Amino acid sequence: MNPMLPLLTLLGGSVATPLVGMFSRKIRFEKIRDAWAILAFLVTTCYFSYLIYSGKLPLYYAVKLEPSWASIEIRIDSFSAYMSLIFSFLGLMVSIYSVGYMSGETGLDEYYALLLTLVAGMIGVTMANDLFTLYVFWELMCISSYTLVSFRKHRWEAVEAGFKYLVMSTIGSLIALYSISLLYGIAGTLNFSELSQIISSGAESISTSTLYFIIAMIIAGFGVTAAIVPFHTWLPDAHPAAPSSISAMLSGVVIKTGAYVIFRSLYAVFFPTEFLYGHILILFGLLTMSVANIMVILQKDIKRFLAYSSIANMGYIILGLGVSTYIAHFYPSDIAAVSLALLGSLFHVLNHAVGKGLLFLGAGCFIKQAKTRNIAKLEGIGRKMPVSAVSFSVGLLNLAGVPPMSGFWSKFFIIIAMLSHPKDTLLHTSTIVFVVNILVAAGYYLWLLQRITLRKPGEQLSKIREVSPSMVIPVAILACICILLTLFIAPVLDLISGPVEALIGYLHKPEAIGGV
Amino acid sequence: MFLQVFYANVALVMILIGFYCIASKRNLLKIVIGIEMITIGVNLNILAMGLMENSVEPLAQEMAIVSIAIGAAVAAVSLSILINVYRHYKTLDTRKLRRLRW
Repeated sequence: MNPMLPLLTLLGGSVATPLVGMFSRKIRFEKIRDAWAILAFLVTTCYFSYLIYSGKLPLYYAVKLEPSWASIEIRIDSFSAYMSLIFSFLGLMVSIYSVGYMSGETGLDEYYALLLTLVAGMIGVTMANDLFTLYVFWELMCISSYTLVSFRKHRWEAVEAGFKYLVMSTIGSLIALYSISLLYGIAGTLNFSELSQIISSGAESISTSTLYFIIAMIIAGFGVTAAIVPFHTWLPDAHPAAPSSISAMLSGVVIKTGAYVIFRSLYAVFFPTEFLYGHILILFGLLTMSVANIMVILQKDIKRFLAYSSIANMGYIILGLGVSTYIAHFYPSDIAAVSLALLGSLFHVLNHAVGKGLLFLGAGCFIKQAKTRNIAKLEGIGRKMPVSAVSFSVGLLNLAGVPPMSGFWSKFFIIIAMLSHPKDTLLHTSTIVFVVNILVAAGYYLWLLQRITLRKPGEQLSKIREVSPSMVIPVAILACICILLTLFIAPVLDLISGPVEALIGYLHKPEAIGGV
Repeated sequence: MFLQVFYANVALVMILIGFYCIASKRNLLKIVIGIEMITIGVNLNILAMGLMENSVEPLAQEMAIVSIAIGAAVAAVSLSILINVYRHYKTLDTRKLRRLRW
């Protein structure tokens, strides 16, 4: 099957959305436009599920032009297919949710068009096989998300948070582009496989300090979107200001795209066996989760609460990456621990995308009915809205890492990988910090669960009823997926071992990755 | 070789000026101008990296052109958000719009 199909579906769907909107207004049935967006996401989700199921990966596609320098390369390996499946699936859920949630708003043509380009950008980032194509899709994603954050432009909060997000994220992207241009100056190409060959050949003309400078700029530049701590300040403002459906997209998948680029560029270009950056990533991960977990406790606004806990979860993912690169550098023979850390990290990407998407959508249901974001005023709302509240609780339990749930296993894998070398002081101490953070996080998730669902509802909530089915269905589906991930954990881990092998494969046979 | 180093350094200086502009100026419009300075510096750096004897490598030209287009899109979005900021606050002073905490 043509690898360009999902991109063409989403981008073509996005371009056609205003036309469909015009048509739907003409026949006075505006839900056609919503159905159009849902259809595009459904096609994409089915495509990636089929791709993973059929196992014909990696797919390779090049837009060959004359002269040859202008060719664009698309390569779907199991890692990209895995991430793209998460992205398009959450896009599908959010677009179903938006039918009910956004029904009172104006400018919905633009909303659905931007939602489609957002997911198209993310899928393009995962498919790109050279850094510049990746950057172009990255900016497609970023520009759509700036506009979506400030979508409710009649509110001061959305406009201000959108501007803050734009300034910070653009500076990050430009730093990343600067590092890409330096890399181009060093190697003369931006293709992942050619770059890795040139860099690992150890030519005299390439100074190691320049390469470390480039690594630092890639981590910092893409780390702005991944919300690594010194660069996280846009996130707790942008998430509450955006509509809840967009918060779910931002927190569930957009920040994961930043993590994806760091994973891919570090493993594909700068081999962790040759460069040492694992300890920096471990420290960044620990700093991220510690700062965010302390900030969560101070929040009174439910969406800011969830936004800070997203930063903490990004800390876990970055920590898993750091542990895997650190072990790969110092103990290159211990492939088992490297792949275990990667497995935990990538599994947490899935858990957090599903769980946090569920939490933001569920919080959106509460906010839509109660017209407030204050946790104290939302106390006990779960008794009035049983389906949303039960789903919300499942998401909270999953992310809290209560033992049978899948959120426990992903963190557990990272901890086991960290404990595989008991004489290593850095791994040892960071395990302690990590475990303390997990316990603090479990504490505040359960505290939120108790306040939302178990307390007696107050006077102001007496007239609240369950939201419309189009909002409840995606929330319930996501909760079911949380439970299914727990019940069928073995097939899910089989699925994730594909991406792990794709990343580990870079370390051993760089020459075989290239071509077809 | 001399020209390449020269252009790369000019690009670096422009990027640093852009950072200084963003960090020190209190007007949102000047912050957008700072972002544009960084964009221009990075584009110049791409061209400097692709510099050959008396022309520029085609891949570098292609990248610079695409990057200019992306920069224009970012500028358009940032200016449109800026207009909305002005409608809410009747000012572009950053000190007046600090209702969001970090």
